[in-house]
Amino acid sequence: MKRIKVSDISKNNEEQLLHIKEEELMQLPYIGEAENKGEPVKPLTEKQQAGFEHSLDGVSACTIPKPKDKEEEERFVRSFLEGLKKLISEKDNWTFLQQLLLSLDSCAKCQTCNDACSIYLGSGKQDIYRPTYRSEVLRRIVNKYIKKGGKIFAKLTGSDVDLNWATIARLAELAYRCTMCRRCAASCPLGCDNGLITHELRKLFSEEMGIAAKELHDLGTVQQLKVGASTGITPPAFKDIVQFMEEEIEEKTGKKIKIPVDKKGADILLIHNSGEYLSWLENPEAFAIIFEEAGISWTLSSELYGYEGTNYGVWYDDIQFSRVALKHIEIARKLNVKKIVVGECGHATKALVVIADRILVDDMNFPRESALPLLYDLVCNGKLKLDPTRNNFPVTLHDPCNMVRLMGIVEPQREVLRKICPDFREMEPHGVDNYCCGGGSGFAIMQSMNFPDWRSAVSGRMKMKQILEAFSDVISPEHKKYVCAPCSNCKGQIRELFNYYNVNEKYGIYYGGLVELIVNAMVDIEKPFIEWDWH
Amino acid sequence: MGSAVVIIFYGSILFCLVGVVVRLIKFIKMPVHLKWEFYKGSSIYEQMEWWTKEQVNLWEKVKSTILDVLLLREYYHRNRPFWSVLYLFHLGIYLLILWHVWLFIASVAVEPETASTAGLIWGHTATALAFIGGLGILIKRITDSELKLYYPPLHYIKWVVMLFTLLEAFYAVQYYFDASMPALLKYVKTQVTFGDIEHKLHPPPATAIHVLLASIWLIYLPFSHIMRLFLRYYHYLVYDDVPNVKGGPMEHKIRKLLGLSVSWSAPHIQKGKTWGEVATEIPKELSKGAAGK
Ligand code: HEM
Repeated sequence: MKRIKVSDISKNNEEQLLHIKEEELMQLPYIGEAENKGEPVKPLTEKQQAGFEHSLDGVSACTIPKPKDKEEEERFVRSFLEGLKKLISEKDNWTFLQQLLLSLDSCAKCQTCNDACSIYLGSGKQDIYRPTYRSEVLRRIVNKYIKKGGKIFAKLTGSDVDLNWATIARLAELAYRCTMCRRCAASCPLGCDNGLITHELRKLFSEEMGIAAKELHDLGTVQQLKVGASTGITPPAFKDIVQFMEEEIEEKTGKKIKIPVDKKGADILLIHNSGEYLSWLENPEAFAIIFEEAGISWTLSSELYGYEGTNYGVWYDDIQFSRVALKHIEIARKLNVKKIVVGECGHATKALVVIADRILVDDMNFPRESALPLLYDLVCNGKLKLDPTRNNFPVTLHDPCNMVRLMGIVEPQREVLRKICPDFREMEPHGVDNYCCGGGSGFAIMQSMNFPDWRSAVSGRMKMKQILEAFSDVISPEHKKYVCAPCSNCKGQIRELFNYYNVNEKYGIYYGGLVELIVNAMVDIEKPFIEWDWH
Repeated sequence: MGSAVVIIFYGSILFCLVGVVVRLIKFIKMPVHLKWEFYKGSSIYEQMEWWTKEQVNLWEKVKSTILDVLLLREYYHRNRPFWSVLYLFHLGIYLLILWHVWLFIASVAVEPETASTAGLIWGHTATALAFIGGLGILIKRITDSELKLYYPPLHYIKWVVMLFTLLEAFYAVQYYFDASMPALLKYVKTQVTFGDIEHKLHPPPATAIHVLLASIWLIYLPFSHIMRLFLRYYHYLVYDDVPNVKGGPMEHKIRKLLGLSVSWSAPHIQKGKTWGEVATEIPKELSKGAAGK
């Protein structure tokens, strides 16, 4: 395996630092030649190669166009340096400055955190995917170009990264090779947060240079602020979906439910990731069935911004993040509900409940919580009539990083599964030590060029391994198996993974949320709610 | 030469104190950041209406901090081979710090002639632990493919100076003071009580070098990881998990921060406006309004 040095990032040429090869990736159980498609990541076409930066690892997540001339190159470097100065200034970056400086300062170069990273391990330990690599590049740039006397002491402090177009373009791509699951941060004995450094780099690129993954910015937060949802669902379309949900619920369960929409003064405003309405309608349906059964006073919102829980800003841009979070609060205030409850979506929950906490003042500081504690209460305190034998198939749980490691919501979902799934088994490791699904920080929705291949071959590889191992005693496809992932983005990633490795067909593994399992166990519903059709 | 040693020594103490205080003030005055914790287990968010529940248990945090520092337990759990040498070194350093504290107190509180050799054993053991640990760290930093990666040249020099400091200290106690506790205590006493100025101005090489090396470490301290760890734990104890309560001090701080002006250059951000304005007044081209209505 070729070793890649930190300073290699500043080779000012088009030479690719890493070529991803099947034989170097981490081994997977059960996955044989057939599923391994030779080349794990499709090379870019010649046209793509000519047009876009790909000299990091042959993958393009951000579609950064190559510079036309020297002047454009220089402008790029100047703009980066400008941004870097803002990144370490109180005014422009009070939001994370303290944490950033501490993390830049505190790394002891012990490399302990690398073994915590699912991408580094999945890649077969490629140097550029070390959590420390990206941070070290930034640290050396700061030491050399920002600190006083940096260039004079560069040799002693080992600050050997040169700033040029290629360095910065590779660094921008590298900021999209980490899911910010912060497993590395949790494993650092000195409190250095390499995940945060990814976040800060993305922010610099977005807020100063206008560089971000298209799916996060143009098709993400910008679209959300324009039409109401990053999926493009508009308020009238949403109302149609709700009507369709009511019809489908009746068809599936015989229950006639009127889903409350825009009900003023309800106790709870429930917000889902709007991806659920497009890809997994059974999830918001299950929520509706459960809430109605339990007699909860709740409502959905059909207002612009009110039916979309996502906040992609949390992954790359504090300003877009704040804008979206404020919209969510405004909707809840207008409806005069008692609190916002966020459905099964990790980043949406963490963004609104936790991170937004320190931008909300006065009346905007509105009560917000995750749906998981409520579901726990309903299931474990006997508020629903459930028959666990209806879930008599093997179930494992994927812990969404955002809700588990990053919010400390560890037990409610497992308590529910222990109660309603007789064959519940943990994957290893789990809980706050879980591995990311590989779709975190926006990866699950990013579709640029060959990025999806990389996402499945490298960043989701560890999760694939964990899932296969969790079911190793029942691996043959006649046993239908269920991966419970109470998070829309994780589900999106798991869907892609299962397609890539063909594990649904070969091993009979399905995936879905938590509420579907709860409804599947409800005694007064005749037909199984989980239909085991692949989607 | 003698007065230079005295000036450097007291100068370095002053530098260290000022450096520590300046860094502390700078850190404490830094704006509070957005909430961004991670958890090692269940948190308050597992409860419904968590905002009505008891928030932080300071004692739990303090306990965890003490265990981290005393045992370097994160390294123990995550990087055992490195921990083994790191811990020997730290145990040695902790014991040496305590030993110095004892030495200074004992020199004025105890009759030197009655001092037992236990003090000597303590000092030598601590020095030996730190030396063996430090040497182990240096060897690992040279030979281990992971530990030498990214390790800057300056830090190799640091370890050589560290080992030399420890060796020289051992030499001074064992040979210059003849391994005699009474002699050592008497010497320290004259230093602490400013008894023999003549001696201070004409220090023998063994103690002069020790003082000079100590000065280097005092100057280094404000920039070392000890300071950073202090800041980190300070931050952890003071800010982590502290919610923004209506009308509370956190809200007050945030309101001020929302008034800072923004100068980012990307097209979706209005330059020169405040954070609060930028977040609430979305530029026209971003919000074409209810496109679907
Ligand atoms: C949680 C607590 C601590 C951890 C995890 C820790 C960890 C470390 C690490 C990783 C190094 C660097 C080793 C290298 O460069 O190879 C180090 C060095 C050192 N530590 Fe600590 N340490 C802790 C607390 C302390 C404390 C409380 C002291 C002293 C009061 C201390 C004194 C030193 C000294 C003097 C060095 C050598 C100089 C330097 O690298 O700055 N450490 N420690």
